[in-house]
Amino acid sequence: MRLREMRPSFIRDHMWTRRHLPEYLDGELDGEDRRRVEEHAHLCPKCRRLVATLLQTLEGLRALHEAPAGATSSISDSVIDRLRRESS
Amino acid sequence: MRRHADHLYAVIVRFTGDPGEAEEVVQEAFLRAWRGVGRFERRSQFFTWLYRIGLNEAKRRAGRRPPSDPLSVEEGALAQTADLRHAPEPRAEQHDLRAVLEHAVRALPEAYRAPLILRDVEGLTTEEAAEIMGLKEAAFKSRLHRARLRVRDAVDAYLGDDER
Repeated sequence: MRLREMRPSFIRDHMWTRRHLPEYLDGELDGEDRRRVEEHAHLCPKCRRLVATLLQTLEGLRALHEAPAGATSSISDSVIDRLRRESS
Repeated sequence: MRRHADHLYAVIVRFTGDPGEAEEVVQEAFLRAWRGVGRFERRSQFFTWLYRIGLNEAKRRAGRRPPSDPLSVEEGALAQTADLRHAPEPRAEQHDLRAVLEHAVRALPEAYRAPLILRDVEGLTTEEAAEIMGLKEAAFKSRLHRARLRVRDAVDAYLGDDER
């Protein structure tokens, strides 16, 4: 462990960053708190990697929305057919 | 109605991983909604009610089946990435990352999978997704973060562990 990683302020910021990561990812932190996460991540390799890969994960998950997991062209027709069958 | 059907299908097919079953679930969800529309409470939105019916139906069907995927998130992601890491083209890498993500999402426990699909893939708000899951926002956020960390582990394994 490096010397700076043993400092109380570093440990405090590390724990604070981990606790507030969900809000950071969802853009719910104000400017000062965002900077606190980013400044800590700049100094802490583990948090830097965690934040970077989480952001990459979220970007990738959002991109899945653009690539549907299956054909959807006939789904509403099949629903309408089923409703008609059940109501007749 | 078509928009709701398409969106619900997108959620359910990701949740089940089975297009045929997802289609049946969506049909069943609309049928139940149509039969039970008198019980629809207008304090919630129609689509959140419909999604809730659909996810409950998908979970009910999944509960009747024996577990089919014995891989953990990490094992599954590594199995996926073993043959994919050497893909040379950026486009191929993006495709491979997508495959890792798809697999990691499917390998999540149900309790984590649905929040992640609703919030991070389908882009619903926390409020909407929590309402569909029948969870308070704090509980929903906790599950979502755990799900994100698990999927992130698979992405991290795919990207390599040079910096660990």
